[in-house]
Amino acid sequence: MLKTSRSRRLAGDILTYAVLTTLTTFCLGPILWMFLTSLKTEADIVTSHMQYIPRTVTFQNYVAIWTQSNFPVLIANSLVVTTITVVICVLTGTLAAYAFARLPFKGRDKIMLGYLLVRMFPAVMVIIPLYVMMRTVGLVDSRFGLALAYTSFLLPLFAWMLKGFFDAAPKELESAARIDGSTRLGAMVRIVLPLARNGLVASSVFIAIAAWNEFIFALMLTTGQGSRTWPVGLQLMVGEFQLPWGVLAAGGILSILPVVVLFAIVQRAMVQGLTAGAIKG
Amino acid sequence: MRRDHMKSILPRGPITLLGNLSETRYWVYLLLFPSLVLLLLVVAYPTLYGFVISVREMRLTRPGLNGWVGMKHYVAMMSDRVFWISLKNTAIWVTAAIAIEVTLGFVAAVALNRNLPGTKLFGVLILLPYFLPNVVAGHMWALLLDPRLGVINDLLVGIGILSTYKAWFADPATALAATILVEAWHGFPFFALLFLAGLKGIPEDLYKAAAVDGAGPVRQFRLITVPMLKTVIAAAVILRVISLVNSPDLLLVLTGGGPGNATQVLSLYAFQTAYREFNFGYAGALSVVMFILLMLFATIYIRLTRVTKE
Repeated sequence: MLKTSRSRRLAGDILTYAVLTTLTTFCLGPILWMFLTSLKTEADIVTSHMQYIPRTVTFQNYVAIWTQSNFPVLIANSLVVTTITVVICVLTGTLAAYAFARLPFKGRDKIMLGYLLVRMFPAVMVIIPLYVMMRTVGLVDSRFGLALAYTSFLLPLFAWMLKGFFDAAPKELESAARIDGSTRLGAMVRIVLPLARNGLVASSVFIAIAAWNEFIFALMLTTGQGSRTWPVGLQLMVGEFQLPWGVLAAGGILSILPVVVLFAIVQRAMVQGLTAGAIKG
Repeated sequence: MRRDHMKSILPRGPITLLGNLSETRYWVYLLLFPSLVLLLLVVAYPTLYGFVISVREMRLTRPGLNGWVGMKHYVAMMSDRVFWISLKNTAIWVTAAIAIEVTLGFVAAVALNRNLPGTKLFGVLILLPYFLPNVVAGHMWALLLDPRLGVINDLLVGIGILSTYKAWFADPATALAATILVEAWHGFPFFALLFLAGLKGIPEDLYKAAAVDGAGPVRQFRLITVPMLKTVIAAAVILRVISLVNSPDLLLVLTGGGPGNATQVLSLYAFQTAYREFNFGYAGALSVVMFILLMLFATIYIRLTRVTKE
């Protein structure tokens, strides 16, 4: 009896590792292949016989995408748009999240549900009118305008995620500060925000990644060099100049680098916030 | 008295004022005001305006054409062949992608939940695709499945499944399936993440009690795991349906709706109508229909999942 249960457990463990290895290969294999491709010479990519490991490792593709295209400009634009988006969301969303988490008020559930329902709206349905509106006020092809458009779906997400972190922060310290004569504002800034620091970082990183990756809004709302972000630029390069695979792969690796680094740093808190937000919602 | 006066002329004046304001009942509205105004401006108003556009003629290429047309676009849609193809493709695309993603996500979550050494690292690695941009994911898979240079073709030929390289995205018979594979790769980590959180929330005692009562792993799974996860599954599926129906990114990068209309979906059709033809009126009507269909789906779905729970 003991023996069978032990061997069954062992079989289960082996199966578990087999499943996890297969899934990880499925997840990372494509990324690894893109990375290998970015290091290959054109001769190793376009071959009649598949060359798995690059015969010569070259960084030529990285040099090419960085110096022979407007990639640096695209990256700079993306950085600016992402930063503005995060700043807007943090400034306005933190206040809203705090109100949702700490202050009971009439219609709170309705407003919170409203923030969630925003996600139901098809992006296209918002993009078309936004384009017309932004054209009227001269915000088409502006980095600020694009960031503003991003808040339409990222601000609600941010507020919901952060609310979860505020909920998890203990209320006692705040009450103690209030008894000691601190105002609500004082307690919020000095007690609650530091307590929810990790959550604030994780939520900000999450929306930063989303803004960095966004494609559809950017495609519609940017028309020129001045505000075009890297996903749009990369896509257009593929269409216009038949970008060689190696160069495209290098561009891909460069542009996901910040995402991977940020994700690696804050993944634990981010995962926690994502699941809390989604399950409660 | 004097001290109060002193305080108000100190440079901290505005902050003190805000601090005092935070003690009043207006505080909560003040906190909500900025985000509410912003959302009204970039979501609520555009949405309402979107409904208006859908009953107007609005083509940016022909500014002269402008005016009220009532239900014209909606009537035109009924006899628009591409609309019906897109509707059908959307249904297939979303259903198939979600079925695969739920299955893979569930398998991953169960495996990760066994908490063997190293599962934490596996968990992080498996999650990575979800955070990658669609543009990169799309081109990456285009390279993997390329008809001349694709490594997947090479592997499949190598193990004898294929006899020659296949143009997965150019063949109408396989194009939709190939895009579903890419979407599954991109989206299943989301389900793994949520299911894992759900599994962690199931008390260990339930399984112990069931084991004492003589229930085997299969019955434990059916009688404890699935019912306990029902809410999480329902929530995850609906969130994913919404984002899949709404986002044309991946298909735009991979196929642009082609070949023919083999991978054309509603969101992409609406986007292209606006982006390529600048026919905002018709694109608006298409997105309104999408929105209504999504609302209908959400309402029915939530009803159904509630009914089965009780």
